[in-house]
Amino acid sequence: MEFRPRNYIAEKEAHALPRVLADSHPFSAPSSPSQLQVEVVDDGNEEYFDPLRRSDNNAEASREDLVEIETSSTAGLSGEASIQNPSKEWAFFTRSLMQRFPVSKSVLTYSMSDMIVKGRKTHEKSSTSMHLEELEDPEKFAEEGGKVITGQEYVSRLHELKAELTHAWHANDRVTSLKLSIKVARLLMDTSVLQCYPTLFAIATDILDILGDMVWERIKLKAEFTEDGTRIFSLPENFSVSDICFDAKETCNNWFCKIGAVRELLPRIYLELALLPCWRFLVDQPLNSLRRLVMMTRGLADPLASAYCRLYMAHCMRKLPSHDTGCLLTCVNDLKIVSMRVMSAQETSHGAENRRLVVSLMEPTIEYIMKCIFRNASEKQVGDVLVELGVGLNQKELLGRFPCLSIVLHHLLKQLPSEVVSSRAVEILHLIECSRDDSLDQVIIEYDGLDDYLKVVDAFVDIVLQNHMDDHLSSILEGISKRACTKGIADDELATLQSILVKLLSYCKDIEDMFSMNHFLKILDLMYGNSRSIVNIHILDMGIRKGCIRDPRTIQFLLEISQALHHDENFVNLKDDNQPTRLISQFVSLVDYGAEIESQLAFLVECRGTFGSIRGLKETLIHSSNCLAIKALKDAKHLSFVKSCIAFSEVTLPSISSQIMQLNLYLETAEVALLGGLVSHSDGLIDSAINSLQSLDVMDGSRLPIDADAVLSSVQKLFSFLVMVPGNPEDGVTYFPKNLVSLLNSQSWMTPRMRVKVFCAIISLLAALSQRNLPYHADGEKNLVDAIQQEPSKAARGSMALEACNCIASSLILSQEISSICSNLIETGKSCMSTNNRYLQSTIKFMDHLPDSSVAL
Amino acid sequence: MSIELKLSRINRVYRPTELIEGKIVVKSSSSISHYGIRLAVNGSVNMQVRGGSAGVIESLVGVAKPISIVNKIIEVRPSGKIASGTSEIPFSINIKQPGEKNLEKFYETFHGGNINIQYLLTVDISRGYLHKSLSTTMEFIVESDKADLLEQPVSPEMVLFYLTQDTQRHPLLPELKSGGFRVIGKMSTQCSLSDPIVGELTVEASAVPISSIDLHLLRVESILLGERIVTEQSLVQTTQACIHILLAYIADGDVCRNMTMPIYVILPRLLTCPTVLAGPFSIEFKVAVVVTFQSNIAKMPSKSDPTTPRLWLAMETLPLELVRTRFYEQSNTFTARTELLVAGLMLRPLSSVAFHRPPHVQPI
Repeated sequence: MEFRPRNYIAEKEAHALPRVLADSHPFSAPSSPSQLQVEVVDDGNEEYFDPLRRSDNNAEASREDLVEIETSSTAGLSGEASIQNPSKEWAFFTRSLMQRFPVSKSVLTYSMSDMIVKGRKTHEKSSTSMHLEELEDPEKFAEEGGKVITGQEYVSRLHELKAELTHAWHANDRVTSLKLSIKVARLLMDTSVLQCYPTLFAIATDILDILGDMVWERIKLKAEFTEDGTRIFSLPENFSVSDICFDAKETCNNWFCKIGAVRELLPRIYLELALLPCWRFLVDQPLNSLRRLVMMTRGLADPLASAYCRLYMAHCMRKLPSHDTGCLLTCVNDLKIVSMRVMSAQETSHGAENRRLVVSLMEPTIEYIMKCIFRNASEKQVGDVLVELGVGLNQKELLGRFPCLSIVLHHLLKQLPSEVVSSRAVEILHLIECSRDDSLDQVIIEYDGLDDYLKVVDAFVDIVLQNHMDDHLSSILEGISKRACTKGIADDELATLQSILVKLLSYCKDIEDMFSMNHFLKILDLMYGNSRSIVNIHILDMGIRKGCIRDPRTIQFLLEISQALHHDENFVNLKDDNQPTRLISQFVSLVDYGAEIESQLAFLVECRGTFGSIRGLKETLIHSSNCLAIKALKDAKHLSFVKSCIAFSEVTLPSISSQIMQLNLYLETAEVALLGGLVSHSDGLIDSAINSLQSLDVMDGSRLPIDADAVLSSVQKLFSFLVMVPGNPEDGVTYFPKNLVSLLNSQSWMTPRMRVKVFCAIISLLAALSQRNLPYHADGEKNLVDAIQQEPSKAARGSMALEACNCIASSLILSQEISSICSNLIETGKSCMSTNNRYLQSTIKFMDHLPDSSVAL
Repeated sequence: MSIELKLSRINRVYRPTELIEGKIVVKSSSSISHYGIRLAVNGSVNMQVRGGSAGVIESLVGVAKPISIVNKIIEVRPSGKIASGTSEIPFSINIKQPGEKNLEKFYETFHGGNINIQYLLTVDISRGYLHKSLSTTMEFIVESDKADLLEQPVSPEMVLFYLTQDTQRHPLLPELKSGGFRVIGKMSTQCSLSDPIVGELTVEASAVPISSIDLHLLRVESILLGERIVTEQSLVQTTQACIHILLAYIADGDVCRNMTMPIYVILPRLLTCPTVLAGPFSIEFKVAVVVTFQSNIAKMPSKSDPTTPRLWLAMETLPLELVRTRFYEQSNTFTARTELLVAGLMLRPLSSVAFHRPPHVQPI
């Protein structure tokens, strides 16, 4: 048995894939989710499997995550202006909406469930009558409406409906598609679970948009082609009604008839909005229909449902070629009346809590409509808008009385173009003065009690921040701190104060801004309990946003905040993996003392002492210390410091509970030690790593498969690392491999599959070692072949055999003995797989091309 | 062996003076010899009295004789043979010859509760006494002739209405009676079948929160029973069936006060026809605006007539004349008034109407 001599450089060149310039990033461009089901057809010429090309749900999901992260970063306060495409912008908007109001996992949806589970018509029951029923006959209710489903299930059911709808459409069953979309639109009538509504809205309108697009395409097709498929006409972008043939018109008409027959108001409006662009086939002025729909929406009394209906209206209007600001202005004015009603209905059944939630849920709708109003608006139009919205002196009283209106004002000011602000400075100043006079200086001062004061400030702080009224801000903060110092902060005031401080923080670019705010820290010190912790979380989040943290004062401050957070039992004991602990870990990893590496190591030691109980933090600490060591290595002279870093890691390592993590960190530290030339340290660390591997099975018997894979890859990494480790003269070069082989043979949790992979790794390692050193003859193959035969699954056995064959053939010179092993393995592969299996074919091809091939195939 | 009728128009809508064209499709494994292929057109008004509103003379129930509008037979093919396989035999038939005097007017197709106006096309292939003849029947839909259409445009006249606690003739909840309410609006009195009912509505005040405001279409079908109508007025027995159709909600929930909402409701095509005032029968329409107030005692009565006076309901009924305008004639120009639409299929079938519903095709 003899190892094949290898020329690694030449092989790398021969095997490298040709590089091709990619037009787009594979993870960008979120296309339609229907691609999830699309089987990607591999190009027949290619000999390898490209993992990126496989249709893989996980990959898809992670892509969605990426996009969402992107969204959250762009949906910040100023960053979304760059997006121009309306549909893309809408997609971003709905995504951020869903993120802002996530479906909580525990929410149970009673009244919604029936419709979605059985498709029965329960919508006619109002929620009050449902409650009545529930009171009268709880058992019956439990039987009928008792299909309780969680928000998550609800969402997935909606996605199913979407798939059903497109499927029915493509099967030419358009009536079913229509029925399903009516069903979906009806779901929007139920606002009983407030928190879920934005998510429901986002998904339902997505479905309705799909229907609208399909109907549009169908009628367009009818207008352009005859029944037998010959093109008779090509519709220009700005076609008029006279271009449309009678057939297409009649079909279009029938669609509007069908949706017009839906009795309930809300689904009727939603469906007509979805089909709104189709009015262009029937009339030259489709905006008239929109105007009517705007008015019809007034019939929806539910504030939330009507607000979101107007939001969808603003979205659908953008699909029309012409633009009508008047409609949107009516929407905003109607919304204003509706929200004033919500705010003034204090005595009714809606609790204050509920009311606040409704208003916060309505806010994004106002924001979006405002944005639509000012898109491409000329200066004159802007002036008209200001007049139309009635923001002027006569509204003074209203502004003071209804804090909700500040939402409208807030978003209005946010959207006003800067040149308008400058040219109309006087009016704008009036506007702001309105809010200042009424709501801040005068109104606020009247409120002696901290509670009232805070509530008012909470409502107006956004406007103040928006307009950089810094002197004003500081007087507000002073007001708060004065009142808080004298009377202390009561529990219910804490929540409002928390909201104000969080808003303030959201306007700070970095932590320096926060330090520069007068009174802020003083107020923070007065806070306590849960609210304090929440504010702390926001500060920490902001502190780590800018990456490396270098300023010692900031480090000290954030460390104190982290300690406070850590001591808050509510947070730390909640879950192992919650936000504060994640933030603390991130903070620790971002601290950078620059050249003062000793101080940094001291910081790490302090962290270990303080945050010892946080899971996962020690790993961060070891990473940081290893990084520090590498940094010190670059200066060469700090060898003793490198030693202390490694010592720190070595001391910290045994306390890590996860064995796999421990194994990996041992390896990492060993690598660092080897890089620093500390061979004996490195050897010791490898020993520890092998020990931790040994203690693996003692831990628990039922090892999850995913765990096994992690172990496997760690072991493989260990082998590849060993290639670099110089042999110990006392124990010989094969000391570690030997140890490992005996260890792995004794482990009961090793599955045949793992064994095969490990043996392959050993052979590769030894082959690599043999390039310079004496070969180490382990009779691995026999074990290998036995291990393969133990695999119960046929398909798995086949691919394992092929893998082993490839490994042996590329490592060893094909002697008679090896050849027979290889052909045996290929036989096994053939017996387990079909002959046109690509892996099998490529292996056989590989064997054929070996220089000294004598394998009988 | 199967036989099928196919009409040239997919929606099967024809006017009386128009030629009905189509083909007879016969599928057979062997050739068929026959004694002639005949096509019959039959149109009639069927009246039937049901329910308890028939009045004093219960024995009169069901005696109204059907009125025949048209009944004619043409021979499409003389006796001969039809080859095996699929054969298509084209035909064309006039329902009404130009200049021909017909006894009855060609009323539009209508399927109501008591009155059924139906036009049928029947093909019959007689194969002698030894074999059963092959036949099939299909309904087609008749709409008014061009000549009969209203020449002048639909009257833009609107009727004003208002609902307060004092306009209601039935008892109301005490809190409604004392607190008061006022809902005003206006609505068209004449409406083209192809147009929506339009109008507007405003809730000016209401002490009790409103649960919903809906629009109902009332269809009044009257049938004259008895022989000597003209001479003996006293013997005239009319039976009326009032069928309500919930058209649409105008408002859902306690809407804001003093906000004007549009009334815009599309008429259901199958359940309506132009208002008919014929001698022996009449079909008329009314629209009811129903305001439902929130009340603890208001249980949703699922089956019963929602226009029945109840403590928590307020309503106003307005007459509505339905007319056929020249909608289909001008295929390429939709005027502002006929901006819209015909009717929908998605309405739930009427509760107990047993008449055969035509297989109406509206491609979407």
